[in-house]
Amino acid sequence: MKTAKLTDSEYLVKAGKIIRARQMTKIEKLFEISLPGGESLDHEPGQFVMVSIPGVGEAPLSISSSPTKRGSFEIVVRNVGKVTNALHKFDTGDTVGIRGPFGKGFPVQILEGNDLLFVAGGLGIVPLRSLINFVIDNRRDFGKVNILLGCKTPQDMLFGEEVDSWSKRLDVNFDITVDRCEDPDYNGNIGLITKLIPGVTLDPERTFAAVIGPPIMYKFVIIELLKKNIPERQILVSLERHMKCGIGKCGHCQIQNYYCCKDGPVFTYDQIKDKKEAL
Amino acid sequence: MQYQVLKKSSFNDFIASLARIEKVVAPVARGYNTFSFQEVKDGQDVAVKYIPTILPPKKYFFPQREKLIEFNKSAGTLEALLEYEKMVIFGVHTCDLAGIQCLNMVFSDKPKDINYLVRKNKIIIIGLECNEYCDQYASCKVVDNHLPNGGYDLFFTELTDSFIVHVNTIYGDELIDKTRLFNPAEQIHLDQLEAVRQKKREIFKDEVKVNHNDLAKLFDKSFDSKVWDDLDARCIACGNCTNVCPSCYCFDMLDNLNLDLNTGDRTRMWDGCQNEPFAKVAGGENFRKTRGARQRHRYFRKFKYPVERYSRYFCTGCGRCTRTCMAKISLKETINALVDSKEEKK
Amino acid sequence: MSKPRVAFFDFTCCEGCQLQVANFGETLLDILNLIEVVTFREAMSEKSEDYDVAIIEGSITTEHDVERIKHIRSRAKVLVAYGSCATIGGINGMKNKFPLDEIGKYVYQDKAKHFPTLPTRAVHQVVKVDYFVNGCPVYQPEFVKVLKCILAGIPYAVPDYAVCVECKLNENVCMYDKGITCLGPVTKAGCNSWCINNGNICYGCRGMVTNPAKNGQMDILKKFNIALDWIINKLDMYNKPRELDERK
Repeated sequence: MKTAKLTDSEYLVKAGKIIRARQMTKIEKLFEISLPGGESLDHEPGQFVMVSIPGVGEAPLSISSSPTKRGSFEIVVRNVGKVTNALHKFDTGDTVGIRGPFGKGFPVQILEGNDLLFVAGGLGIVPLRSLINFVIDNRRDFGKVNILLGCKTPQDMLFGEEVDSWSKRLDVNFDITVDRCEDPDYNGNIGLITKLIPGVTLDPERTFAAVIGPPIMYKFVIIELLKKNIPERQILVSLERHMKCGIGKCGHCQIQNYYCCKDGPVFTYDQIKDKKEAL
Repeated sequence: MQYQVLKKSSFNDFIASLARIEKVVAPVARGYNTFSFQEVKDGQDVAVKYIPTILPPKKYFFPQREKLIEFNKSAGTLEALLEYEKMVIFGVHTCDLAGIQCLNMVFSDKPKDINYLVRKNKIIIIGLECNEYCDQYASCKVVDNHLPNGGYDLFFTELTDSFIVHVNTIYGDELIDKTRLFNPAEQIHLDQLEAVRQKKREIFKDEVKVNHNDLAKLFDKSFDSKVWDDLDARCIACGNCTNVCPSCYCFDMLDNLNLDLNTGDRTRMWDGCQNEPFAKVAGGENFRKTRGARQRHRYFRKFKYPVERYSRYFCTGCGRCTRTCMAKISLKETINALVDSKEEKK
Repeated sequence: MSKPRVAFFDFTCCEGCQLQVANFGETLLDILNLIEVVTFREAMSEKSEDYDVAIIEGSITTEHDVERIKHIRSRAKVLVAYGSCATIGGINGMKNKFPLDEIGKYVYQDKAKHFPTLPTRAVHQVVKVDYFVNGCPVYQPEFVKVLKCILAGIPYAVPDYAVCVECKLNENVCMYDKGITCLGPVTKAGCNSWCINNGNICYGCRGMVTNPAKNGQMDILKKFNIALDWIINKLDMYNKPRELDERK
């Protein structure tokens, strides 16, 4: 057996420098990462990167920042596995391996000029934030914007200050709900995110809905969106799978004939509604 | 010059002289009617009559474990690696040639897999014709792989007292030159070859109740079939079927740290959709939780999804999945059951 | 970084798994660069109550064992169940097939009352376990892998698929093709099909996969004409205490 060095390989990584790390909740940590020489990641909202630590492994993670933010990008790491566990011990100044960006993100050119309805549940805010901020930064290119968020308790809301700033904008309709709240002074919505949808006024023909959340959320949210007569091809979802290669080979993320890492992770409901293993 | 002839009496010399030029691997008997591709030095080591090996020759193109990256943490270096070996594979049946063609398509699909593509170019392939069925599990006719269809440098067909050899590439031609044991084929050899093929057309019949061209259509309508429930009850998820398949290419990525806790590698290792954790995500959700769903996925990855992506079946008809199945799940029986269950609905 | 202090403890076992450490050869020197062994009865006379990592060999079979393992757990930052007896109960678990009185009398006859005993339990059935190194004996390369995970502070997941997976990658002739029954199809991988590579069958020493296909397996026994009680006996050789997990 001979060994040679390859200068060209899909598996090579770039050295991503952590320029900011912030513990958001007990299990979620935000990292702001810059690439060597200030190189731009050049991603679309909704894409993901493979983040690695030599000796531990790689994990697919959604890019949370908008491409309009130059010079660095952000990821949010939930401590659920080997790599994410190790990442939680990383801090400002540490280096991680970055491959990507990978996959199909949100089709921003198609979205331009249309009304948007964002629906994010739980950790879904992390990838959806890349699109929300992109839209806010290019606000005049889009029509009406509705943002609906849901999480377990008010304390679990990620990006609290940023979310606050969205809620205060006059050019954005905003609503939020929590599953439960023990604080007697809380006077916001309590209940499932699906309850917020009927109250939204929208023109279904020119509305695109972007939905990201836990698997169980999709089924019920989509029912509500269809009730609003939003066409199936205008409902966009982002699906979670455990990609190992990111380039449409390893098979782990396959949803019937789609490779989630290559054909997704963003799909139209139209594309996946008949794919039984999708949701 | 396109067809050459090797006397059977020269076969041992041929393998021995090949082995002096290059590493040669060929099917070798392992007992209990099992075979595997292994390094050989002489023709006597080669099982010319063999049923598909335990693992297909895929293992030389896409090894079970392959280092892709080497790193040194303290030095901050990380390099991409290619492991390769020049070799000649002798005795590849048409089913396995098809398997290699499938992998070629997958790994040259963008983004290309450099490791695979470079390694492939270091390997010379000598095919070997099956003049009759190897056993009752083979289903090469139904996917039209019983006759040679390219994918080799040389292709051997056994005649009465010689092999007639189709020379398909200049690499094959070079081996003919270097070994100096071949003579140009004469009309009588070509006639014998035609006779072999004619006989094969009679022996090899569609092994299932559906025609080659209609297989994809059958699967179009079979996602919700009860047949998968039956497989769910029978499959034990040992993973044998995917591990022995010539066209399965799923893998896992694993990091290994050396004992200095500083250097190490990132390795890809064969993985399979039948394994319980394969489609699990970090939160614990498993998108193909049942063994039936995983079996269905395997079948669809042979007869439907690749047809859409690569315009060909990824089943090569080798029969390995059936031969190796602990639960005796049979590919042919499954396809026939799908045909029957479709008819029942009418 | 100071080396973590590692202590080996044996409970009900043959101490063969610890012998695997002593048998490491040169690799042992590399390992000793990374850890400081403070207690290891087989190889040293010193003992220490001050340790970071406790490596437990053996199953829990007496009240005294229970107290002792709880004490070790309270002192150790990391606790490793090491070998079949510790991870799945192992062959000591065969005791659980019989009433305790009966088995006590059988072994110790009229002295049985001096040897009070409990049903055999794996370590995780008594205290929390952080890492599992399965096998009888442990497979050295896997132990090294786990050790590196401990040092890096990352979890180690025992593969939850059948030994067959690794066995196929090694291209062994299947034992069932040879007409021999093998427990590979129900046993957790991670040993690189060590036994089969060397011509032996899989005895199931690493424990069963978490979701074995019961109906499918029964089907297979029928097809290969294997008697159910015979295979259960074979499984119980290592896996009897598994029932204690199932009852939970």
